[in-house]
Amino acid sequence: MTPPVLYALCAAAIFGIAVYGLLSRPHLVRRLLALNMMGVAVFLLLVAFARRDPEVTDPVPHAMVLTGIVIAVSATAFGLALVRRLYRDTGRTGLSESRDP
Amino acid sequence: MSVPGPSQWLVLIVFVPLLAAVAAVLWPGRGAGRWLTVLTGLLTGGGLLSLSARLLDAGEPVTHALGGWPTPLGIALYADGLSLAMLWLTWVVMSAASWHADAYNPAHGIDEALFRPLWLACWCALNAVFVSGDLFNVYVVLEISTLAAVPLVAIAGGRAALTAALRYLLFALLGALVYLLGVALVYGRHGRLDMHGLEITPEPAMLLAAGLVTAGLMAKAALVPMHVWLPPAHSRAPAPVSAILSALVVKAAVYLLLRLWTWTWPELINGAAWVLGGLGAVAMIHGSVLALLQVRLKRVVAYSTVAQLGYLLLVFPLASLLAWQGVVMHAVSHGLAKAGFFLAAGNIMHLLGHDRLQGMRGISGGPLALTMFALALSAVSLMGLPPSGGFLAKWLLLQAALEAGAWGWAALLLIAGLLAAAYLFRVLAILLARDTPDPLAAPGSDRHVPTAMAWSALTLALGSAVLAFAGEPLLRLFSIGSPDIMTGSTGP
Amino acid sequence: MTEAFSWVFDGLLVIALVIVAARVVFTPVLFKAIVMFIVFGLLMAIAWGRLDAPHVALAEAAIGAGITGALLLAAYSDLVSVRRRRPHLRPRVRVLRRHAFFAASAALAFAALALVLLQVPAPESGAGTLAVANLDATGVAEGVTAVLLDFRAYDTLLEMAVLLLAVYGARAVLVTDSEPRPDPWPTEGRHGSMVAALVGVLAPLIVVTAGYLLWVGAYGPGGAFQAGAVLAALGVLLRLTGRLEPAAASSWPQRLVLVAGLIVFSLVGLATLFAGGTFLDYPEAWAYPLVLLIEIALTVSIALPLILLFSGSPGLATPAPEDRR
Repeated sequence: MTPPVLYALCAAAIFGIAVYGLLSRPHLVRRLLALNMMGVAVFLLLVAFARRDPEVTDPVPHAMVLTGIVIAVSATAFGLALVRRLYRDTGRTGLSESRDP
Repeated sequence: MSVPGPSQWLVLIVFVPLLAAVAAVLWPGRGAGRWLTVLTGLLTGGGLLSLSARLLDAGEPVTHALGGWPTPLGIALYADGLSLAMLWLTWVVMSAASWHADAYNPAHGIDEALFRPLWLACWCALNAVFVSGDLFNVYVVLEISTLAAVPLVAIAGGRAALTAALRYLLFALLGALVYLLGVALVYGRHGRLDMHGLEITPEPAMLLAAGLVTAGLMAKAALVPMHVWLPPAHSRAPAPVSAILSALVVKAAVYLLLRLWTWTWPELINGAAWVLGGLGAVAMIHGSVLALLQVRLKRVVAYSTVAQLGYLLLVFPLASLLAWQGVVMHAVSHGLAKAGFFLAAGNIMHLLGHDRLQGMRGISGGPLALTMFALALSAVSLMGLPPSGGFLAKWLLLQAALEAGAWGWAALLLIAGLLAAAYLFRVLAILLARDTPDPLAAPGSDRHVPTAMAWSALTLALGSAVLAFAGEPLLRLFSIGSPDIMTGSTGP
Repeated sequence: MTEAFSWVFDGLLVIALVIVAARVVFTPVLFKAIVMFIVFGLLMAIAWGRLDAPHVALAEAAIGAGITGALLLAAYSDLVSVRRRRPHLRPRVRVLRRHAFFAASAALAFAALALVLLQVPAPESGAGTLAVANLDATGVAEGVTAVLLDFRAYDTLLEMAVLLLAVYGARAVLVTDSEPRPDPWPTEGRHGSMVAALVGVLAPLIVVTAGYLLWVGAYGPGGAFQAGAVLAALGVLLRLTGRLEPAAASSWPQRLVLVAGLIVFSLVGLATLFAGGTFLDYPEAWAYPLVLLIEIALTVSIALPLILLFSGSPGLATPAPEDRR
């Protein structure tokens, strides 16, 4: 085992935990947290790939992850704004399971 | 300084709407927004003409290596017949829906300063998807389309729209991450991201990567079983937004499925063709049956989208040039007809203030005459009756199924067509009923549908009908650069 | 560092990451989950450092943990009254079990795959090796910056649109509110506090740091993303201490800053397109100055949207002098 493999396994564990969080937690802020952690897990896998060759680090995945981090914060910020508005209008922080009338 | 050629236009059709969105941020007035949209339409229209002429002339795809770096180092833009079909569809639907929005937005209190940048950015993202040749770039542009489309759903406010927007956002973000995971695996194995240079062979890791990418795109495309977010989002959005969501935004993800499974990893298709086709079949039946059960007009149309998207997946099991042409024609004609239908439904809501079918008996006359004509024409195309693009598409698909001796798929096409006729005739029967007096025809009533709203819906509906006559030359353009796995099989 | 020590360090870090991730999901209190998420981001920054990704480490610490954390806490202050509602656990047990099964299978599949793929030797040649080989032709000496601003500049440019859309999306859902709402970060009573004084001292230092990060991006870890994130952090501090106030409308100069990155980047691209026929193909002699110009524009256009998103207002204003008690 090499450090990249260790971190890839870590990414797998985080991904699984985040999927669980997304499915089991109805609170919308928690769902956004889970989605963020899923994203970080994917980023971690990409960076682990970049580190496989001990001589050279591949810069392309790093650039992809930087782009991904900015996209993640944008989506999270918008999602939180939407959640706050929903809460203010309806007092709810989750999506009801009942169907849209 | 040089005059832009087709290869330069490939870049400009992305940057014209993008810079128009930027300009709309700087000049937020209604007049400026309208002119920026018109300018975007004119310039991208010119670009599409240039691209189409080159494509017909040379018979091969147009490309542009961004930054002058060849793939796999740089990102390449790429346009072939399929791209052009989707780009033209985007152009027509965005133009007509913008026209509709000019009258719809002020009447429904939609803030122009916020609407316009989101709207133009959505146009940019759609064009960017259809010319992208890079897996990671697709992730970025799909995020643009998500972050433009979701606020547009919620822009008019209201509890139902907010809930719908949030559900849409969660599905879209999850889909993007699952897609990105698949892309990460592809990069880890092959070290490149260009769709047209990757040589992916069937091995477990790449099958999983393809599965992840497909699942992610299915969530974005609302393909069964990831469709639950679509009906509320598409039915609760403002009318012009519903039109572009159903006609274009979900189709961008389906387009990518077609592109990836036929160009990037055609070697993996064998077993997957039946799975994808099967999901398409489930969508066709499930969506149609639910459309039949809805009590609100826009929800009928939204479930119809769930069903009609299923047709596009039939290309995988049928795999012939005929099927390919049928699917491309279906994507285009459904886009026009569905956008026309949503705009018409918006006009009805504009007058009635609601879209419950119950309260719509016999409203077809008077101020809604043009709208009703648009609605009926769109319905004809969605049902697949002649003369319409929808008929042409379903005819091509049926022919492909019969030529391949695939009786099961042929039967499915017929059943789905009957179901579509059932849910659409049910709506038309209510609207055209003559047993009650038209509630809108009361004397002294001065309610009317603004010209822009009536004619934009009618333009799209007429477009879907005209496709029946323009089918031949259009299909020649749209078939340029068809994938080998489609042209290698039976077909003319 | 010796081999053994570095293994122990990596092992402990990975275990900590997994535990903190689990805490984010399992803690019943939302506030704790948010704090744990910030801790998770900070630990992650160390992990990026261990994987020789200092760029990512800087961005993760500033954006992933810092700005995202601030946004989450801002949202929490709005939602604080729902904390007491506890989910009914009993009827959900069966559902939870199913979810646990899903999560476990997802993790297993992902782990198996990561293992398989990481055993596969890195492809002989690919975008990465080409990027390293072509670095000299780009005008910058740092691989990641070269990828972001030259080889894959198109992605970076479009990503600025994502940030802009987040601001407009947030405005679209927050501004249509009919009732004025209280400022989530009231500035009453904060003036004259230690924090405000400290921020006053820190502000110039933070600006210098951002400038340094921007400048150094051409040679080492740094660049527009990190510099923009640091500036955004300063904006958040100024907003919290009342030196910046929410404004009901965004002024013209603020909107210009919002789109400066997109404008400069696109115009450079279009200039090269019309001059040489290829988008963003920098002329060799101009490569470095152009990249620097773009980076400066990107920095401010990354910082301002993040500050606006935190502030939850369409614009920002400095308080009028008479307000400064």
